Amino acid sequence: MLPHAADPISGGAPGQCGTRDPGPAPIRRLTRSEYNRTVHDLLGDETKPAAGFIPEEMSLGFNNNANALSVSPILAEQYVDAAEGLAARAVRSPESLMRCGPSGVDDACVERFIRDFTRFAFRRPLLDTELQRYLSAYSATKANLGLQSALEVVVGSVLLSPRFLYRAEHGDPTTEKNGIVRLTSWETASRLSYQLWGSMPDRELFEAADRNQLSTPAEVELQARRMLSGAYAMEVVADFQSQWLELDQIETLEKDPTVYPDFSSRLARLLAGESRAFLDHVTWHEPNGFAELFTANYSFMPPELAAFYGAPMPMAGGVQRVDLPADQRAGILTQAGLLALHAHANQSSPVHRGKFVRQRLLCQTLPPPPANLVIKAPDLDPKLTTRERFAQHSVDPTCGGCHQLMDPVGLGFENYDAAGRWRSRENDKPIDASGNLLQIDVAGSFNGAVELGRKLSESNDVQACFCTQWFRYANGRAETEADACSLAALQARLKAAGGNLPELVVALTQTDSFLYRRTQQP
Amino acid sequence: MKNRLINRRAVLRGAGGVALALPLLEMMRPARALSATAPVGKRFIVMYSPNGTIAENWRPSGTEKNFTLSPILSPLTEHQADLTVIQGLNLKADAKGDGHQDGIAGFLTGDKLNPGEFRGGAGSSGWARNISLDQRVAREIGADTRFASLEFGVQVRDATVWHRISYLGGDQPLPPESDPTRALARIFGNAVAADPSIVTRRLAQKKSMLDTVIDDFTDFNPKLGQSDRAKLDAHLTALRDIEKRLSIVTPASCQAPNLGALPNLFLNDSYPALGRLQLDLLATSLACNLTRVASVLWSRAASRTRFTWLGINDEHHSLSHAGDGDTAARDSLTKINTWYAGQFAYLIGKLKSFPEGAGTVFDNCVALWGNELGKGNNHSHDDAPFVLAGSAGGHFQTGRYLQYHGEPHNNLLLSLLLSMGAQATSFGNPEWCTGPLVGLA
Repeated sequence: MLPHAADPISGGAPGQCGTRDPGPAPIRRLTRSEYNRTVHDLLGDETKPAAGFIPEEMSLGFNNNANALSVSPILAEQYVDAAEGLAARAVRSPESLMRCGPSGVDDACVERFIRDFTRFAFRRPLLDTELQRYLSAYSATKANLGLQSALEVVVGSVLLSPRFLYRAEHGDPTTEKNGIVRLTSWETASRLSYQLWGSMPDRELFEAADRNQLSTPAEVELQARRMLSGAYAMEVVADFQSQWLELDQIETLEKDPTVYPDFSSRLARLLAGESRAFLDHVTWHEPNGFAELFTANYSFMPPELAAFYGAPMPMAGGVQRVDLPADQRAGILTQAGLLALHAHANQSSPVHRGKFVRQRLLCQTLPPPPANLVIKAPDLDPKLTTRERFAQHSVDPTCGGCHQLMDPVGLGFENYDAAGRWRSRENDKPIDASGNLLQIDVAGSFNGAVELGRKLSESNDVQACFCTQWFRYANGRAETEADACSLAALQARLKAAGGNLPELVVALTQTDSFLYRRTQQP
Repeated sequence: MKNRLINRRAVLRGAGGVALALPLLEMMRPARALSATAPVGKRFIVMYSPNGTIAENWRPSGTEKNFTLSPILSPLTEHQADLTVIQGLNLKADAKGDGHQDGIAGFLTGDKLNPGEFRGGAGSSGWARNISLDQRVAREIGADTRFASLEFGVQVRDATVWHRISYLGGDQPLPPESDPTRALARIFGNAVAADPSIVTRRLAQKKSMLDTVIDDFTDFNPKLGQSDRAKLDAHLTALRDIEKRLSIVTPASCQAPNLGALPNLFLNDSYPALGRLQLDLLATSLACNLTRVASVLWSRAASRTRFTWLGINDEHHSLSHAGDGDTAARDSLTKINTWYAGQFAYLIGKLKSFPEGAGTVFDNCVALWGNELGKGNNHSHDDAPFVLAGSAGGHFQTGRYLQYHGEPHNNLLLSLLLSMGAQATSFGNPEWCTGPLVGLA
C-alpha cells in the first residue's frame, strides 16, 4: 500500500502535485569512484583499480548520467582485468577470506562464503539460481585447477556480474498502484548508500533492509541523517560540487607564460585546493551554505595564496581561514581558480564566464551559433579594454540575440584577469565592471562580481537550478516534466532549511523520484 | 548437480595444470596472419585533427597526376607517390549542435546526431546515431586479430560528443586510450614471457570466469527500458568478444615499442611527445597484427591546444575563429595544420619501416586523415580536407590529386569501405550517400 497522503513530501504546492510520479529510472552503472569504494568496502581492497578505467561519458556536466554511460569493449576488458586482480588478492589467503574456523576450508564453508559474499556484492538476498551458478563454477574449476583458482573464479565472476556492476531495480510488485511501485528495502538501501556515500550499503543498512525498516520516508530520512556524518558523504558532496562547478579542471590549468609568467602548476594546485577547502567549509560548517557560496568574503588558503590575493598574511603556515578584501572577493565566483578556468590562456573571456553562469548556475541552454557565420572573437588590442573589444557583439544582431545573455554577465567579471588576479586597469584604462542580468528573477544591472554574487544568492532561479543540478547528479539523469513536483519539493526544503546544504542531501531521499519507481521504463 | 558448465569443462581434467586438454592447446595458437602461409590482411587507419584548415594553403596545385603539394601538405612530400589528396568534398553533418559537434560526429559516421542531453556548448543533442566507418571496417577485417580495432587519443581529456570519432553503433561511442603506458600494457601486456603453465592456468581461469559471467547475463532481467536493454546487450557482446579472442596470443616475435620516460599527460607541451608515442604504438600494433583497424584522435573538436613548440601561444580554437583578413592568425593556423601533416607523414614512415612479405606493412594499408570542419572561423563543413595514404593492397591508384565540387564525404567513406572488401552500396545516412566516390578507385 502506498502511504500517499501521509507522506511529508508528495510534491511542491499542495493541489498541484497530487499525482505521484517518480519519473524514469534508467539502470545505473557504477562509476569509477563508486567501483573503488565498493570493492574497498566489500573486500578491503585499497588498490583503487578503477582509477585506470576509461573515464565515464559525460552528460549535462556529470559523469554518472545513466543514459550516457555505456560499456565499451575497452571498459569490458578493464573490468575483467580488475576483477582478476581483485580476486587474486582476495584469495591469497583463503582462510582469512572465508574465516572457516576450526573445521577448515570445506565445502560447507565455501558454500557459506559464496552465499555471503555474493549477497553483499549484489546488495540483496541471493536467488537460488544465482547460488547454483557460482557453486557450479566453483566445483568445476576446483576439479580442474584446484581450490585457489576456483575461489578466484567465483570472486572474479561475481565482480564481473551485471548484478554487481549495475544497480538493477525491480521494485516491490505488491505495492503497485497506477503503474508506480515502491522499491524493495534492499533497493532503497542501495539508493541511499550510493546517493550519500557512493558505495555499497553498510551493515546497518543491510540490517535495516532485512527488517524491512526502509519502507517509509521517515525511516529513509533517519538513515540518511545517520549517513551524513560518514566520511564518504563528504567525498560525495565534494564530487557533486567539483562536477557542478567543473573544479576538477583547475588543477591542471595552464596559462600563456608570456602573459602570465607567475601562473605555475603549483599555483593551479593551490587554487584547486582553496576552492575545495572553501566548499567543504560552507557545506558542513555554515548554517546558510547556499548564500555563503556566493557571498563569503573569506576563503581558506596557505600564506602563499594569501599573497596572491593581496590579503593580510595569516600568522602561521598551512591552510587557514583568510579574510579577503570585501570589495574584491565574495564566494566561489570570485575565486581565482574558477575565474582562471573560465578564461583564455592569455586573456579574460566574458563569453565563457557569462556562459558558465547561464549553464551551471541557471541551468539554461544556449543555442549554437548560426551556421556559416564567421564567428570572430575580437582581436587583442593594446589600446582597448576587453569590454571595448566585445562591443561588437551587442551591435551585431546575429550575435546579440544570444550574447546579450552571456556577455553582460561575463563583463561584470572584468576586474579579474585570465589568472583570476584582481585588476583595476587594463591597457592603462580603468576597468568598467558594470553588468546586466537578463531572463532571471533578479534581473537588472549590477556592478562587479561581488554585487553579482549577492544578487545570485538571493535568486529563486539560482536556487532552483542548484536543486536541479543536485537532482541530476543524485538520480543520474536529466529532469523531466514528471519531476516538477520532486524539484519543487527540493527547493521548498532548501528554503525551509535556511539554505543549509546537507539538508538538501537529506531532502533528495524524500522525493518521489527517490522513493518510487515506474513499472514501465521508456 | 548436472550443469552444462561442468560438462563443458570436463575436457580440462587433470589438476595441477599438467594435462592440457585440446581446447587449451588451440587457445595458444599464434595470431593467424602471422604464420608464414596465411594471407596478409589489409589494414585501415584513421587520423583526425581538429578545427578546420586554411584551404588556400592546403590545396595542392597542378593536375591529378602532376601536382605540387601545398605548404600545409609539404611534410608529406617524400610520400607523395603514395597519397591521394581529395579536395572539394562536403563533410555531411547534422545541424543540431555547434559545427564542431556535428562535424566530429559526422566525420566517420556520415550521419546525424541522436537526440540527447549534450548542452555543453550548444543546443541539446546526443551521440552520433550510426556506426563509424572504422568500426564497420572492423566487422569486415577485424575478426581474427586480438583486437577488433584500437582507438588512440592524444590528450583527449573528456568524454563527450566533441571527444569521439568512433562508434560501434548509434549511442555507442568508443573511447580512445590517451595514456601510452596503459595502451602499452593493454595491447602488448600478454606478450611478456611467463611460465607457460602459469599462463595456461590463468587462461583457463579467465575462460571459466567469462563463461560464468556470460551465463549470468542470460537471466539478468531487471525491468528495463529499451535503451537499457541495448546497453546490456552491448556489454554482453563485448564480453563474448573478449572470450572469443582469448585464444589469440601476441606472437613472441612482436616487439613492443619502448616508451622511455613518459611525458606528463596533462601538460600542454607534452602534446607532441605523447602523440609520437601513440603513433608508435598504433603502427606497431598493426605490424604485429594485433589489430587491423586503428585510429588516432588528436585532442578534440574545438581543441584549445597551444602550439608553443611552433612559437604559437594562442589557443588553437581561438585562432581558428580569427577573421579571414587576419594574416598572423592564418600563418599560425597554417603552421598548425602543417604540423599535423608532419604527424601523418611520421605515421606513414613508421608503417613503411616494418617489412612484410616482399614489401612493408604500409603496402596493405589505407590511412585517412580528416577534420571535423573545412573552415574554422565559420564552422563550415564544406570543402573539408581529406588525404588518403596507401593503396589498401593495390585497391587505390595513388600519387593523385582529386578535385570535387561538393560531393558528399559519405561517398568517400563508402569507397573506403569497399576497398576493405565489404559488400555495400551506401554508407552512413543513405540520403547523403550517392555511391562510391567517382574517380577514386
